[in-house]
Amino acid sequence: MSSQPSLRSQRCWKTSAVLVPGLLLMGASPALADRIERHFKVDARPVVTIHNPTGLVTVRAWTKSEVMVVAKRATDRVDVDTEQIENRVEIVTRQIPDNASPADLRADLEISVPEDAELQIHNDSGGVNVSNVLGDMNVETIAADVALEDAAGYLTVKTVDGSFVCTRCAGRIEASSISGNFRFIDLRSYHVRAQTSEGNISFNGQFLPNGTYELKNYSGIIEVRFSPNDSFDMSATSLKGKVNNEAKLTPSMHHHGFGRFANSLFGTMNTGRAKLDLSSFNGTINILKKD
Amino acid sequence: MGSMDCNAFFNQLDRWMEGERSAGAQAHLRGCPGCRGIVGDLDGIQQTARSMEAADAAPPERIWIALRAQLEQEGLIHEERHGWAEALRGWFDGVFSAVPRPALAGAYLVALIAVSIALAVPGYRRFNGTQVPTQPLTAQLNTAEQDAISSMMNSDPAVTASLQKNLAIVDNYIALCEKSVQEEPENEVARDYLYEAYQQKADLLAQITERGDDR
Repeated sequence: MSSQPSLRSQRCWKTSAVLVPGLLLMGASPALADRIERHFKVDARPVVTIHNPTGLVTVRAWTKSEVMVVAKRATDRVDVDTEQIENRVEIVTRQIPDNASPADLRADLEISVPEDAELQIHNDSGGVNVSNVLGDMNVETIAADVALEDAAGYLTVKTVDGSFVCTRCAGRIEASSISGNFRFIDLRSYHVRAQTSEGNISFNGQFLPNGTYELKNYSGIIEVRFSPNDSFDMSATSLKGKVNNEAKLTPSMHHHGFGRFANSLFGTMNTGRAKLDLSSFNGTINILKKD
Repeated sequence: MGSMDCNAFFNQLDRWMEGERSAGAQAHLRGCPGCRGIVGDLDGIQQTARSMEAADAAPPERIWIALRAQLEQEGLIHEERHGWAEALRGWFDGVFSAVPRPALAGAYLVALIAVSIALAVPGYRRFNGTQVPTQPLTAQLNTAEQDAISSMMNSDPAVTASLQKNLAIVDNYIALCEKSVQEEPENEVARDYLYEAYQQKADLLAQITERGDDR
């Protein structure tokens, strides 16, 4: 996966970390600080960066030209700072005392954004849910699961062992993880690149003309569902595992095989308008008919 | 002009990477898939480094110093036997000189890994008939790993546990891939998986360090 979006987000987090405590600086009373709501007027294509190490991040699109942040803190040992810089809204959760326990640092964020917003989200544990946002998105987590619904744009998702579910997503998707499972449901993307080491990858969606779909893992199962009318040129290789195929493929002339070293399958379904590249080190690859 | 051999090509690899490309070197590269692969890797590293120059993040001194010291102390390759090693290391330094240090920690590891694997795998071992040991790389990764883990001392235990679990997973894949490469030295797919596993480890260590420095 390209490192560029990651660097961009890293820069944002660093910038965010030195923000002057913003409009949501908490008062002394935990009772007063339990729920905070702030609004920011924005122009088209605002950029919203969210840095919330512990807790749930929920982002929904709405029709207003405004970003609304609702923060629910576990305790007053955690602050939620926000700042608007031109058309960028930055939301940063940070601990107040050094000795706060992880549970004390939890903050759940519910954020409403215009549908063309660009999102940069960092969340170590908790979870990230985004729905109906059509702008570019970069999500990085460690243990947190990521769920995107009806998203579009250039979507990059990186987890360590959080799962990633993308439902009715379009645009371009790049996802990587070490032990997270990936599920792509009713996908309409023209470019998907997904790599997880120990996780499973399940792909159920359209193969768009000229689309490229690259799914890779070390172990686990890669499962791709196809319809009879789908058109793709496929390469499926498992170095130490199996490749199971239900698709009627015509042999491909332009693939060079790794037959000597791996279990490979190359072929074209219908006219081969999309490119499908499946690879695993010792996992199983299943190419199955849609139910 | 006749085509040079791999060793002669390596002696001028740093110049090649800086755009000084003799006819002999070009001729060698056309006929040598091994050297083409290495040059391809170095090109990728150079491009990655350039893309990092724009970043302005703050430096995590610990990992940078540790990696740098480790590199200088052990060296990735045997300088006393290969003059090109010093030149190549100089090229590395030049390429990464403008890169911010946090990016450098990960990038430097990835770069070292790329060249180490390119040089260490049997397919590339024909330079001077010399094998390049992987121990220095392993030592650097271990040092980086220790630094990274210690930087997570005050982190959420669940997150720390997750990171440690996943480091173990990556280590396991590295071991599996190394075994596979040893068993089938000509297997390019296994080599690619090994390279990616190392890259994943470097990336994970950089990520852990960054998390540690944010706190």
